[in-house]
Amino acid sequence: MDGGVGLAATTQPQQPPPPPVVEKLNPKLEKELNLESLKTRALSLFKAISRILEDFDAYGRTNTTPKWQDILGQYSMVNLELFNIVEEVKKVSNAFVVLPKNVNAVNAGILPVMLSSKLLPEMETDDNAKREQLLQGVQSLPIPMQIERLKARMDMIAAACENAEKVLADTRKAYGFGARQGPSVLPTMDKGQAAKIQEQENMLRAAVNDGAGTRLPPDQRQITTALPPHLADVLIINDAGKIALPGQSNNINNQGMMQVSGTQFMGRSAASPSGPNFDNTTSPLPYSNSPRATGMVNAPSPQQQILHQQLQQQQRAKLMQMPQHQQQLLAQQQQLRQSSMQGLGQIPALHDLHGQPQQKFQTLHGQHQMSYSQPMAGHQQLQARQLSGGHIQHSMSQGQLNPATNRHLNQFSSGANSALFTSAQGSPSSQMIPNMSSMQSQTLVPRMQQFGVSGTNPQRSHSSQMLGDQMFNSSGMMQTQQSQPQQSQQQQQQQQQGGGYGNMQTNQQNLQSNNNMMQQNAQQRHQQNPQ
Amino acid sequence: MECVVQGIIETQHVEALEILLQGLCGVQRERLRVHELCLKSGPSLGVVPSEVRLLCDLDQPDPTWTVKHVGGAMRGPGADQISVMVRTLIESKVSKNALRMFYALGYKLDHELLKVGFAFHFQRTANISVSVSSVNKMPKVHAIDEAVPVTPGMQIVDVTAPATPANYSEVAAAVSSFCEFLAPLVHLSKPFISTGVVPTAAAAAASLMSDGGGTAL
Repeated sequence: MDGGVGLAATTQPQQPPPPPVVEKLNPKLEKELNLESLKTRALSLFKAISRILEDFDAYGRTNTTPKWQDILGQYSMVNLELFNIVEEVKKVSNAFVVLPKNVNAVNAGILPVMLSSKLLPEMETDDNAKREQLLQGVQSLPIPMQIERLKARMDMIAAACENAEKVLADTRKAYGFGARQGPSVLPTMDKGQAAKIQEQENMLRAAVNDGAGTRLPPDQRQITTALPPHLADVLIINDAGKIALPGQSNNINNQGMMQVSGTQFMGRSAASPSGPNFDNTTSPLPYSNSPRATGMVNAPSPQQQILHQQLQQQQRAKLMQMPQHQQQLLAQQQQLRQSSMQGLGQIPALHDLHGQPQQKFQTLHGQHQMSYSQPMAGHQQLQARQLSGGHIQHSMSQGQLNPATNRHLNQFSSGANSALFTSAQGSPSSQMIPNMSSMQSQTLVPRMQQFGVSGTNPQRSHSSQMLGDQMFNSSGMMQTQQSQPQQSQQQQQQQQQGGGYGNMQTNQQNLQSNNNMMQQNAQQRHQQNPQ
Repeated sequence: MECVVQGIIETQHVEALEILLQGLCGVQRERLRVHELCLKSGPSLGVVPSEVRLLCDLDQPDPTWTVKHVGGAMRGPGADQISVMVRTLIESKVSKNALRMFYALGYKLDHELLKVGFAFHFQRTANISVSVSSVNKMPKVHAIDEAVPVTPGMQIVDVTAPATPANYSEVAAAVSSFCEFLAPLVHLSKPFISTGVVPTAAAAAASLMSDGGGTAL
């Protein structure tokens, strides 16, 4: 139905509904003004809607997610424009009469109903009911009073509406639900609350990222309560009730830090790198053939022996899980170890070099760390020393050996894996990675056999003479190993050992903190090389 | 390498956030209970101290250990334009002996945290993990049962996604676009940059929790 737009009219939209006087004004002029503005409004509405449609088309084509904020804004604009137009039309429509333009079969039936101003029967009854409701209290009174009462009611309702509007507007402002735009005004949080929240936030972020606020003072850093289950079997609490944390008390140091690594560093002391603790231990180098040692012998303290027995018990338990030949090997090694602990400080040193990884391997066997030992066959034995560290190395070396992370990792692994790491840097990664990746695929048994070969090495060379040969003469090493059945393997091992040692030398300072043995070897090698 | 953003949320709104995340991620939430031990190397291990984090997932019947090394963040004008923090991260599962080994290497316990909360892991262009947890500290070493929250009224929201140097820009874009969805409840930003709470979070939370707004979990 074309209402005000299609017909000529004598109206002014901006003024109140036209009194009869207005009709006498120049109708054409008024009409023009009126229609033009209406036309521009209609056009702008049309443009807005078409813009929205285009946007959606574009979203659909490019498969991007629309920004709902903007779209809602556009929608509300369209809504407002339409509202204005309708208001305009409503204002002037009083002066118009609807004349149906297009009568056809479809709408012929309904037109009379729509054109009539008489209410439909239902609407009429509705109307009557509402009227009754309104005039309920006042019907008995004279008319002027009725009018007054009704006016009073209307005023009350108007006041209530105004208040409601006010509250709505205030809430809208408070929560930023502006009429057309997004959150524009943030709610005013009082300064005290804001400051408190800021402070809490800083505390929380610092705690998560830095650990600020969670550190215990040094005097409280001792384990006094029972350990939670996941730590109970991980950490060993020594007799003094303190955890084996290096550098925390002299008490621990006097025990030679035996407990620190549990089974892994048997027969050696000073596994801790901390400087002052060295003085309390049996020195860094308990090996009598070391240039720094002054005739010291690595006589284990009673506590060490006790712990040794404890560890032996643990190992026995683990032995149960191992296949037979491994048990034999372990037994042999343990015998060797015990004999060596009686007085030959050197043998543990050498033994550690060759046998240590095996021990480690075996004690770790119960923990399913098979993959670590595989490198021993294919890599330097030094690599195998750091079995537990090797795991991490494994993850690091896989695809993350680029210069940036190299430096990074160097810091990270400075103590533990430097030899491994530098050799990784030195040797082509193709060497490392296939072995690493094949680590998991290898089974336990073949590796043990390889171990067995190298494991027998120290057994034959029980004397310090052998040690001297091995340590001071690389060719000596070759000789002893050539007698092994698996020659190629041993040679490969040995060559890589040489390589490993060579690399070690360049990183002596990194090794100080961890493997005194390796340090000693490096020094010895260093002495030997000029020969 | 990972892209990471962090935010804070008041504890009262955590439930609403959970509902929102449930709707956005489409996966089941997972309980999070992680004992994080932060170990620092002493000066004898190197000139620059390094930090290693050991995470023990206590939620499983068998606690699983992970070692994590968090590296430095990407810097420069390019990094400033990205709204997430891109940093190197090395993570690996380890056995429970890792702690002992690190002690043996000379690392010392710097601090430990217990994080309790929930997490969602889902795929949206990248593998995004969102975790909401309350951070607890322990008054005594390793005393998990006595852990108290560092900030009782506030929890931390972590959104992380692993990335490689080749694809980190896409991952960063995916993470930041996901974070926009969480804007009604939590402001997310690079770690170490404070954001404050969302002022209208209460209203958003109310609408999320109402029966008319969505489905209750």
